Amino acid sequence: MKKNNEYCIYQSKRYSKLSLKICLAFLIAFVPMVGTYGNAENPKDLKIQSAIQKTISGTITDDDGMPLPGANIVEKGTSNGVQTDFDGNFTINVSDENAVLVVSFVGFLNQEIEVGNQNSVAVQLMSDAESLEEVVVTGYGSQRKSDVTGAISSIKTEDFNRGVVANPGQLLQGKISGVNVTATSGEPGAAQNIIIRGIGSLRSGTTPLFVVDGFIIDNSSFGVTNPLNFINPQDIASIDVLKDASAAAIYGARAANGVIVITTKKGTMGKTEMNLSVSTAMSNISNSVDVFSAAEFRNKVPSVGGTLNDFGGNTNWQDELMRTGISKNINFSMSGNVNEKFSYYTSLGVDDQSGIFNNSDLKRYSGRLNLNQKAWDGRLNIDMNLTATRNVNNRPNIGSSVIDMLQLNPTIPVYTNGEPTVIQDLLNPIVRNEIYTNEIVNNRILANFAPSLEIIDGLTYKLNVGVDYSSTNQDMFENPYNELEGYEDGSLYNRFTLNTNSLIENTLTYNYTQGDQNVILLVGHSYQEATYSHKIYESEGFSNNGIEPRYQDQISSDVLPTTLNGSAFINEQQSYFGRVNYGYANKYLVTATLRADGSSKFGANNKYGYFPSVALGWNISSEDFMSDNETFSNLKLRASWGQTGNQDGIPSKVSLASYKDTKGENDTYPLSGTESSIDDYPFGTVPVRTPNPNLQWEVSTQVNVGLDFSAFDSKLSGTIDYFNKVATDVVLFATSIDPIQPTASNWTNIPDMEIQNSGIEIALNYNGSMGNDITYDIGGNVSSIDNKVANSPFQILTTGAATGAGQTGATINGYMNGEPIGTFYMKEFIGIGSDGLSQYRDVVADGESLDNDRAAQGTALPNMIYAFYLNLNYKSFDLGLNFNGVSGNKIFNHTKMSLFSTSQLGRNLNTTDFATLYPNEDNSNANEVSTRYLEDGSYLRLNNATLGYTLDPQIIGLGDFVQNIRLSLTGQNLFVITDYSGFDPEVNTGSDIGGIQTFGIDRFTYPMPKTILFGLNASF
Amino acid sequence: MKNKIKFIIYALSPLFLLNCTDLEEERLDEAAFGEQAETISGALAPAYGYISWTWRHTNYYGLQLITSDEAILPYRGGTDWYDGGKFMAAHKHTITPSNSLVGAGWDKITTNLSRTLSAIEVLTPLSEAGNAEASGALYEMIALRAYLNMLMLDGWGLVLQKETSGVLSTVLRGQDAIDNIESDLSSVVDKINSNRAPGRISQSAVWGFLARLHLNAAVYRDPYGTPTFTSDDMNKVIEYTSNIISSNKFSISPEYFDLFNDENNSNPELIFALDQRGVLKREHSRWAYWSLAGSWFPRPEHPSADGTDGPAITSDFYQTWVDAYGSTDPAEADARFYQKNTIIPADVLADFEGRSNLLESETENSYYCVEPTEFEIDRGIIRGVLWGPRKGSNGKFDTCDTGVKIMPVKQRKGNGPDRDVGYVNHTRQVDFTNEGSYHNTGYRVAKYQFSRTSPNGNNYSSVDLVLMRLAEIYLMRAEAKLRNGDSGGALTDVNTVRSSRNARPAQTPAALTSLNLESMYRERGFELYWEGFRRTDQIRFGKYEDSWTEKSDSDPNNRLFPIPQKTVDAASGNDGFLEQNQGY
Repeated sequence: MKKNNEYCIYQSKRYSKLSLKICLAFLIAFVPMVGTYGNAENPKDLKIQSAIQKTISGTITDDDGMPLPGANIVEKGTSNGVQTDFDGNFTINVSDENAVLVVSFVGFLNQEIEVGNQNSVAVQLMSDAESLEEVVVTGYGSQRKSDVTGAISSIKTEDFNRGVVANPGQLLQGKISGVNVTATSGEPGAAQNIIIRGIGSLRSGTTPLFVVDGFIIDNSSFGVTNPLNFINPQDIASIDVLKDASAAAIYGARAANGVIVITTKKGTMGKTEMNLSVSTAMSNISNSVDVFSAAEFRNKVPSVGGTLNDFGGNTNWQDELMRTGISKNINFSMSGNVNEKFSYYTSLGVDDQSGIFNNSDLKRYSGRLNLNQKAWDGRLNIDMNLTATRNVNNRPNIGSSVIDMLQLNPTIPVYTNGEPTVIQDLLNPIVRNEIYTNEIVNNRILANFAPSLEIIDGLTYKLNVGVDYSSTNQDMFENPYNELEGYEDGSLYNRFTLNTNSLIENTLTYNYTQGDQNVILLVGHSYQEATYSHKIYESEGFSNNGIEPRYQDQISSDVLPTTLNGSAFINEQQSYFGRVNYGYANKYLVTATLRADGSSKFGANNKYGYFPSVALGWNISSEDFMSDNETFSNLKLRASWGQTGNQDGIPSKVSLASYKDTKGENDTYPLSGTESSIDDYPFGTVPVRTPNPNLQWEVSTQVNVGLDFSAFDSKLSGTIDYFNKVATDVVLFATSIDPIQPTASNWTNIPDMEIQNSGIEIALNYNGSMGNDITYDIGGNVSSIDNKVANSPFQILTTGAATGAGQTGATINGYMNGEPIGTFYMKEFIGIGSDGLSQYRDVVADGESLDNDRAAQGTALPNMIYAFYLNLNYKSFDLGLNFNGVSGNKIFNHTKMSLFSTSQLGRNLNTTDFATLYPNEDNSNANEVSTRYLEDGSYLRLNNATLGYTLDPQIIGLGDFVQNIRLSLTGQNLFVITDYSGFDPEVNTGSDIGGIQTFGIDRFTYPMPKTILFGLNASF
Repeated sequence: MKNKIKFIIYALSPLFLLNCTDLEEERLDEAAFGEQAETISGALAPAYGYISWTWRHTNYYGLQLITSDEAILPYRGGTDWYDGGKFMAAHKHTITPSNSLVGAGWDKITTNLSRTLSAIEVLTPLSEAGNAEASGALYEMIALRAYLNMLMLDGWGLVLQKETSGVLSTVLRGQDAIDNIESDLSSVVDKINSNRAPGRISQSAVWGFLARLHLNAAVYRDPYGTPTFTSDDMNKVIEYTSNIISSNKFSISPEYFDLFNDENNSNPELIFALDQRGVLKREHSRWAYWSLAGSWFPRPEHPSADGTDGPAITSDFYQTWVDAYGSTDPAEADARFYQKNTIIPADVLADFEGRSNLLESETENSYYCVEPTEFEIDRGIIRGVLWGPRKGSNGKFDTCDTGVKIMPVKQRKGNGPDRDVGYVNHTRQVDFTNEGSYHNTGYRVAKYQFSRTSPNGNNYSSVDLVLMRLAEIYLMRAEAKLRNGDSGGALTDVNTVRSSRNARPAQTPAALTSLNLESMYRERGFELYWEGFRRTDQIRFGKYEDSWTEKSDSDPNNRLFPIPQKTVDAASGNDGFLEQNQGY
């Protein structure tokens, strides 16, 4: 051992810092093992079984002196334990007077009692208000988990996904049953689809409602890839997902897609702490697409009848255009609680994520200050949360880069004579990277102030005011490049987006307990105003003077005019809500809520919607007949019904008529016949929208039945839920009934149409131990979802535009009765015929291959999502493995359709061997949308794996300064098991039509990285 | 305690009151009604302005063109113009209700109709109050509504009648539809302006619409049967066309292709044409650029102004020219077929003719030099090897002393054996086979000039889109006379048109010696090719169920297009309101 130490030190002096780190890790790994060696034989640890028995009885009460039935009393160090009865009384036999009793109850701090010579004890447990362990954050309040009647799933900091994380969605992926988180691409901070319990809308409004520390985030566009990137994930203490209508209905007309409640960290009682975490990560492409090498390419082009253009090089364009992204993160936080009156949490974070493409990174600078002050014996309680974030996102030209790296002729050398090779009227991608910039800078402040006052015992008034302010500037430009036609002018696209969202809420809560009965009443009023505006400037024609176009003066010309577009709206929301929670003896629970939600978006005849819900809970384990049951420590049955609304994705003003005066295309005409410039043209008055004063929210009616249990000394716990959710009054930008209408389509609710979702969600966890040193946690969740459209008056609603030459008007998704949202609607490819052309199944048997031969060919949305994990602790080591997967879904590989055809190969463009699968395929065969490009999208991913080591600071002599040091190594996306041939099966980069959502299309998607992260976390 | 509660309620009440809102939606970036337009021009401009969009190549124009035998659009090289199969289905007459070409055509006409109705609703009260300008505008809008309804009737066999926007349209078919259109046109024909041509609808245009309506009335009355042309209808055609001819406001253009040039707005032959001045982006030159080769840059001053390798004429349609002129090349026999503009110096031509059509055989004598603005491509039906500027590897035109090099055009598109090694060589055969779909196949139509005001060949065009001209009026009168048994009078009218194309005397079409329905049909094809008449002509002459390249369908139900599925779906809530056309 000593020798090793010396070796390490010697090495570290001579060699790099890296070896020092390795040696340090080595030391860390060995020292504690050696340290524990001798203790195993220590006679003190041997329990000598005593024949002496002692009986002790007592009462357990809560902090108000109310008896606590069902509290656990365990003799420390043994498995000997009992529970209190209905009146909080217990009797236990212990070994001797040295015994120590450990008293525990959900939501309370544990207490240890030395028996001594006592025969009876009275224990008052202090409620563990600060602990979030068993408290669930619901809308406008929080509840003990045992009191909850709705389907709410919670995860805490320690359960979050680890690694390089840009936003809360990534923390959640695979963690909660019924919640399907899909990254749309592998770009740092990419957008996500977060779908709770299936898609309930045709339009883009399927994002859940996000509530951060009681502040409702507006789902309008922020002009950034993912608006949630503004939250520093390390500030988050817990995420609660309100899944069923009972839980979500308090959020009314915005809750139909479920609600995600994010709670940030607070100062903890009795603990003052500073925390520093530092990490460095390396990302590489996890899976390249197997296009031909230069050598293969030289053979393949002639083999399909092409004439090889050989430029003599040997280039792997994927390697050339991808890099190892180095990401760094530093986060510092301080928290504490002074005299139990003032608590604080503050943090500063710098996160620099580098993508695997050049020009691709996301930098976040964030600060947070959470304060709580109590006064008047705790009756006045003031919360303040403030976070400020600056996000700088550099985005590459993804589509062009992906196309280039897959299809460029691999015989083209990257450089010729030290300069990027000039490729026949194409832009060398190396040059593109030099001249192209797309930078999005977002500054955002979210602040809320929430004082509450307990006016009389049990009656609390709370005010919540807050503002969320965001400004985003996007500069997308191309420097002038004289070497290629069409690039000489340079271009600039500048977009400035401003969002202000302010909220004011007043609530009154009355908490009343008499005997076994407990009632909590909540009434409230909420007003929220979200304003949005953007300006877009587009200009062309810049000097090639080495100054970026965004910093140049530019004079608009007739040939290259500057354009300016503006857009702005205000959405107002006014709501009245109430909730009653009634509990009887902690056994029978009833929750009823009602929210009246008014929104300025709704038509004049339907300003307010009413969203009721009712839920019942039965804590079976608290029943007398269960008192003898030793298997279940918790058994609860829940049932709920409720209605929620969805107004997301309904644009502003769409219920109002609008006409504009314009000289736009096809709106004006040279009526006099002598006009010579646009100034002479008359304004035309044209309709913009047909009014619909009856336009209203979509209604989602949901039934939920759930069972929570924990058994075998709470080692096994789990939840099973069944839900059935039906969306009606589906909103669509639909073709008008009468073809002669001011506008061909208008916003309307489709009568009778339904989108049905039903499913079962199961989550299980088992925690156990092996010997004294090993504890483990193993569990997982699985959800099945059955989605379908019913009573649609439309034979088919197509979306998911195929793009590219020859694809105008072709679509990929199509939704119809009896089939799920996300359905692929296309022809079925049955092979290549003797003429070398694609053959399709002739569904309408007329001998012709027409668009009426299209049919439902599976769906992009999985019918099953699952995840499982293992957390293992061995002494100071911890290991966590998180897997997640989906099955039953398909992916349309648009990239393959566009790029990997014999036709492309014949034209000296690279492909995979997919292009040469059919030897007799003709060069002119069509790449028509069909099942030929439809692939199984099922996958199983090792989402993240973390190996951690917690170091006792005493060992390295820092005990006086440092409380805790943790070193960790995390791998993200270490492997994916899938049959999918694209970069990654987690993808969604289709383009929608008429606002109808598209799913499962992979078109030139930013590849998914594989990341290795080394982290150090120290607390002081 | 009670005081405390009171105090708090009072203290908090402003918070409640402050935020009460009626949820009226505020408009920040729009007005309920525009503030800048003048009432009359504001009503008229969008209705007129939209017609060119209705007639866009991928809307109603493409629908009329590709379904006839004068054009075919294959899936070029397996890469271009497939577009969900809409053009191939249109050509094969296997259109389904979800075909997006039909959907686009229908949508544009209905939108245009709605804009016209809006104008009528705005103008009617002004007119009734005695505003003469509003009355004049109103008559034009009523005529435009009738014109658009006639397009609808021609394509879908129905008219959507609607007098006010608040009520559901009435669907009229057959004689009811004809009556509706005729009543609209008759109500304004004697009151409408007689001097605004060609950019606005004038009395002559209304006479022309009435003539078209009566010429086709037999078909419109019974779209699936064998048309019975009544002498009453034919007399009306003769009457209305004679009104135009005898008004002496119009004369036949000696140079046929002047009709389709940048300056055509002042051409005396035009009766109704969409006024384009090169001011608006959507002043389209799509009728010019759609058919031409994607490798061809007809305007060397604009490096991005190329063609698209869109539709070609079918070999069957070409055959009608061959049938008419026998061993004489139609380019020599008929000025309407071709106009030579690219004059290649003799030595360069000799060099070209002495070589294979391959780039590798080129020498320094294989080009000649012109000022970019002086280059003009040939017009009419384009056959064989093209000449034009060529781009180097930097994407810029190869230049020479006095301008750009003009050379045989290198094939840069598709998957054919000529790509990158040979010249674009338009061949007669074009079909849906692999070889027949190559980017070079089929003779192309350069009837419309590549506008000099268009930097990219498709937008900012100054070429007015011709919708009615005097030659058509003569041909309508000839056909009506012929169907009424006056073949002599018919022949005179046809020969008037032919002999008036005398700008290039060598190619002035010779006078016909006799005329029957067959040669009448053929003559309309020569005069009016690719102007949106052929499908209607084929139905009227009983040719629409014939077979031609890649088309063998003979179901009379396909004379009418299907109503778009989404329209039928949307109307399905109102039983019987809008039924799908038979056979779909």
